[in-house]
Amino acid sequence: MKVSEVIASGLLETYILGGATDEEVLMIRELCRKHPELITEIERVEARIIEASSHLNEPLNPGLKDKISAQLSFRANAAPPKIVDLQNTQLGFYKFGIAASLLLFVSSFFYILVLQQKLNRLNGEVAALSASKTYMAEELKIQQASLFTINSELRVVSDPSIKKIPLKGMNSLASSSAVIHWNPQTSEVYFNAALLPKPENKQYQLWAIVDGKPVDAGMINPEGDLIFQKMKAIASAQAFAVTIEKPGGSATPSMETMCLLGNV
Amino acid sequence: MFQSFFLSLKAVYFSIFLAPKQTYTQDELIVLIRDRDQKAFSYLYDNYSQALYNVVNYIVNDVEESEDVIQKVFLKVWNNFASYDPQKGRLYTWMLNIARNLAIDSKRSKHQKIKSKIQNTGDAVYERNNLFVEDNSHESIGFKGILNNLKEDHRIIIDLAYFEGYTQDEISKKLNIPLGTVKTKVRQAIMTLRDLTKKEFLQ
Repeated sequence: MKVSEVIASGLLETYILGGATDEEVLMIRELCRKHPELITEIERVEARIIEASSHLNEPLNPGLKDKISAQLSFRANAAPPKIVDLQNTQLGFYKFGIAASLLLFVSSFFYILVLQQKLNRLNGEVAALSASKTYMAEELKIQQASLFTINSELRVVSDPSIKKIPLKGMNSLASSSAVIHWNPQTSEVYFNAALLPKPENKQYQLWAIVDGKPVDAGMINPEGDLIFQKMKAIASAQAFAVTIEKPGGSATPSMETMCLLGNV
Repeated sequence: MFQSFFLSLKAVYFSIFLAPKQTYTQDELIVLIRDRDQKAFSYLYDNYSQALYNVVNYIVNDVEESEDVIQKVFLKVWNNFASYDPQKGRLYTWMLNIARNLAIDSKRSKHQKIKSKIQNTGDAVYERNNLFVEDNSHESIGFKGILNNLKEDHRIIIDLAYFEGYTQDEISKKLNIPLGTVKTKVRQAIMTLRDLTKKEFLQ
């Protein structure tokens, strides 16, 4: 008999209801061994029968279960339980373990958040410090350069052969004055224009008076070093004069615009 | 981001702590019963007691007596489990046989008492088939009502096969119909019964 024939015949129903003969039971057992899908079908038919007979319009007294249970002996009462309680313990352990892991996970998550915030704050502080350090380094460079300039100027001034020549104001600059530092040995000329007013659209020009004749000693740059502005080299001179000229200067000085004069 | 994080946490929690109800295969169940495991009794009772009770109550037609029989059934199943042979049939079939036999015994002894009370000794032996013929006053509601909704030939087949445990061959001889027809009718009757109980349940 084939599996499908057995299913269609209704034998499985009779088998479950207890009406199958010994030969039929034997045959079903053999078929189940060869075709495991028949076991599934038997379970399905059995479930169908139990479902059909478990009608609840006449429900069983709910207290009956405990009443019966009280009259039965269970292994759990007599001997220490083997399989099931081991499973229970393990399940409990797993539950505890998983709950603990979850707690650990959540707390680590928040701890990371806190650390992240702290890291952000520190990063900000480091950036501020770094900017401040760059500013200080630049400031130091400026100061060093300034110190170097002052040192070199001090060397010039402290040279024993240098001459300090005050220039007196006249004409338009009667109340002003300026100073020239001149080293006749090295021909170096330095002009101090710090006390001079800035001329509009004009430029101061320095002249050395050599043997009664004016020699161009260079233009005074209003943007340059006003205290120690290096001028053209002059080897010998009896006097120095400053005139107000057009920007770029003139080849010969105009006597009307002479504003400073000083003898060596 | 936080929302999805907590949603996944919730899913993990539910999958761990609210696992679905345990089901056993018959083989697992047998191992547990042999081990005298209380969970096995609980499972047997939760899954089979109502079906067995309906069968028993159909036979004895008395709530208190039926409960008494059910109690005896589970005591016997539990204490005489060694006599169950899985090779010879399903666990449910074995329990059903015990329930059926205890119910029939109970009904017989009750009738016996009534008989002896009225001093009627001439009709002491009850035939199995008389159990239902003499008491046909099943209510038209509940499980019994549903059985009454079966076609007459189906109801008779179910009576014999389910409640009295007749073999197909015995039914065939008793009703004088071919064996093949008996098998088909049992199958059809079970299907109809299942549909009827479903319908009743939905109402």
